Amino acid sequence: MRKRLSGLVFTALMIASALAGCGNNSVPKAGEPEAAAQREAEKTELKKDVSSGTKDSVIVAMGTTSEPESGFDPAYGWGAGEHVHEPLIQSTLTVTTADLNIDYDLATDVRVSGDGMTWTVTIRDDVRFTDGELLTAEDVAFTYNTVKENSSVNDFTMLKEAAAVDAGTIEFRMERPYSIWPYTMAIVGIVPEHAYGPDYGENPIGSGRYIMKQWDKGQQIIFEANPDYYGETPKMKKVTVVFMDEDAAFAAALAGQVDLAYTAASYSDQKIEGYELLAFETVDNRGFNLPAAPASLDEDGNAAGNDFTSDVRVRRAINTGLDREEMIANVLNGYGTPAYSVCDKMPWYNEKAQVKYDPEGAAALLDEAGWLAGADGIREKDGIRAELNLLYPASDSVRQALAADTKNQLRELGIDVTIEGVGWDTAYTRAQAEPLMWGWGAHTPMELYNIYHTAGESAEYSPYANAAVDQYMDDALAATSLEESCDLWQKAQWDGTTGITQEGDIPWIWLVNIDHLYWSRVNLKVADQKLHPHGHGWSIVNNVDQWSWE
Amino acid sequence: MKRLNGRMLTVLSFGMAALFLVSIAIAGQAYAGSALETDFSRKNLAPCAQYLFGTDWLGRDMLVRTLTGLSMSIRIGLLAAGVSSALAFILGALAATMGKAVDSFITWCIDLVMGIPHILLLILISYALGRGFKGVVTGVALTHWTALARVIRGEVLQLKEAPYIKAAQKLGMGRLLIVWKHMVPHLFPQFLVGLIMMFPHAILHEASITFLGFGLPPEQPAIGIILSESMKHLAMGRWWLAVFPGLLLVLTVVLFDMAGESLRKLLAPGSAHR
Repeated sequence: MRKRLSGLVFTALMIASALAGCGNNSVPKAGEPEAAAQREAEKTELKKDVSSGTKDSVIVAMGTTSEPESGFDPAYGWGAGEHVHEPLIQSTLTVTTADLNIDYDLATDVRVSGDGMTWTVTIRDDVRFTDGELLTAEDVAFTYNTVKENSSVNDFTMLKEAAAVDAGTIEFRMERPYSIWPYTMAIVGIVPEHAYGPDYGENPIGSGRYIMKQWDKGQQIIFEANPDYYGETPKMKKVTVVFMDEDAAFAAALAGQVDLAYTAASYSDQKIEGYELLAFETVDNRGFNLPAAPASLDEDGNAAGNDFTSDVRVRRAINTGLDREEMIANVLNGYGTPAYSVCDKMPWYNEKAQVKYDPEGAAALLDEAGWLAGADGIREKDGIRAELNLLYPASDSVRQALAADTKNQLRELGIDVTIEGVGWDTAYTRAQAEPLMWGWGAHTPMELYNIYHTAGESAEYSPYANAAVDQYMDDALAATSLEESCDLWQKAQWDGTTGITQEGDIPWIWLVNIDHLYWSRVNLKVADQKLHPHGHGWSIVNNVDQWSWE
Repeated sequence: MKRLNGRMLTVLSFGMAALFLVSIAIAGQAYAGSALETDFSRKNLAPCAQYLFGTDWLGRDMLVRTLTGLSMSIRIGLLAAGVSSALAFILGALAATMGKAVDSFITWCIDLVMGIPHILLLILISYALGRGFKGVVTGVALTHWTALARVIRGEVLQLKEAPYIKAAQKLGMGRLLIVWKHMVPHLFPQFLVGLIMMFPHAILHEASITFLGFGLPPEQPAIGIILSESMKHLAMGRWWLAVFPGLLLVLTVVLFDMAGESLRKLLAPGSAHR
């Protein structure tokens, strides 16, 4: 017994010392005095540089999931895919501007044929890859044919082939009209045909603002400015990106080891000396689907549809019965904006999507639809209880909190919600029958198509089908100009009689756009950001070349 | 007052430990509903009179959550250890009595399971069964029977040579009947102690695989979830999220251990009358 007691005391001591270690980051851990000494040296160097105003390097901490698994190959997700950002190492034909319209990078002119089946792009003739070779139309055509063949993250089925007409002109021949092609061109980094191979991801050569110098997998990536860059010379000569978990990034900022560290709303009430909290507005939205079809089984025997949410009045009541501002205050400590669509503030957003919080109206709508409160305060209709099992990805604490708040708010409406954390292995299938807390938001209207357009009989991620909405989106893709297509994307959301907004079918409920938060050294000047898309990662360094120290 | 003798002290400590564990299990179940309750108006409160263990980032009462978590741990431990030790008993007894082929097969199984690191196999089984309560219980049950099975097998091998078993054999009793009539009563104390000693193991393993994200989903009040969530908040100075649940987990495990130890003393012939 005595032995066990001393064991207990020992354990308690261990815990106490571990806790003490957490509170005080300046104490170097035993066994790594050299690293600590080096850090100290770096810190002094840093102070020197900053005070003399000559510092031209920056250390940025990102989440561990931001490290590109397959390296810097555009075909396997670099810059493209779920989390869109500018590829830094490579140039793109077009770029998206601060207000999400299209501007040119490599391109000097973009033209589309009357039937929308051929895009002709001319490019600059003064661009060289960092190995000295000239970037030609051949490289562009090679890049597009490669991503069409191999892209693991994007759909390129609308492209038939890319061909170089002459050294400075590329022709994209399409399978079908695709008016938003310039938005696709903004995410595909151009790779050199002569230096592309299976190991390109680890040894990328491009013509962009930065050169990838060093990649210590699982730790950091070091970029250096491209001395021969054809555009404005980057002000930041060296960019180091380190990958850390949220708490480690916070600790690193506390210890002064990084210049900019990503963080979450739950840390926003903390203070770090010498740092300020930067908040950037985003279209990184969170919302949940409401299956718009009665319960049944799909061909694989999985549940699809939901008897409660198949009633459109239920979906409308939920949309207006949720207090988004309260959710932002509760869950995001105020760092967010209400979301009413998957594309708030984008050029293709239809403002008719916006709704007012109206709990009485929502309750009246449910009453009118025949969903009446039972003995326990939960509504019922024809023996069906007004209940939902709201799923959320188990690894995401913000979505968990949003789900918990949704549960509390819907309880007031007489809807019984349970929440359940799930893995992505089962989430997609289960979302066909149950609401799931999603995160979306991209710099392309294609996202509307992916969510609301039918793929077969019903939309891909949640049962829903509306022929009129489908038609508008098909027309939008077939349009000959971006302006015309934006108008049609807006009509797909609400055309005055039908759509996906409150007065329409409302198959998805959008809750909030999450601000992307960063701890930044007070004297670091981070350039203005365009609305960040989904993914709290590389978007922040889109314009790192324009950052500066004061 | 008369000084309590060793046996009474042991009985007393067993009783206290058992009482404490049972009351945690019952209290946890009684509050199971409010353990899931979130209330953002009371989030991140340090321990105070109203919330003895404080509240977390969703405004959940950590005392209720810890108790419910522990009671769930105890239930999982009970179920997993029960299944596991029953398995161990049956396999151990079979190995020793059913002849060479069966014996070598079962010994091979034991070596196989023991050869793979515990936690890996546990994660694998739990993941394959879709995580959740079922996954955890099955995982723990299927990985913990080996040590006890070995003990039982050894014990039975020894018993087989005992004169009264030999006598029963000569009298023509069937092998299974001998096991049931003559061996089980003899093996029962070892079995019981083995069962109780498996509890803390099962509870710690439940906590660890849930901590690693392969067990129960994160809205559930489970001790592994509480501890893994608290990790993210330690840097912000919310020490109470880890300390109290952690201490209670240690206490529960120690009490189980104590109960098992006292029971062993009471049942083992060598120490029963001290």
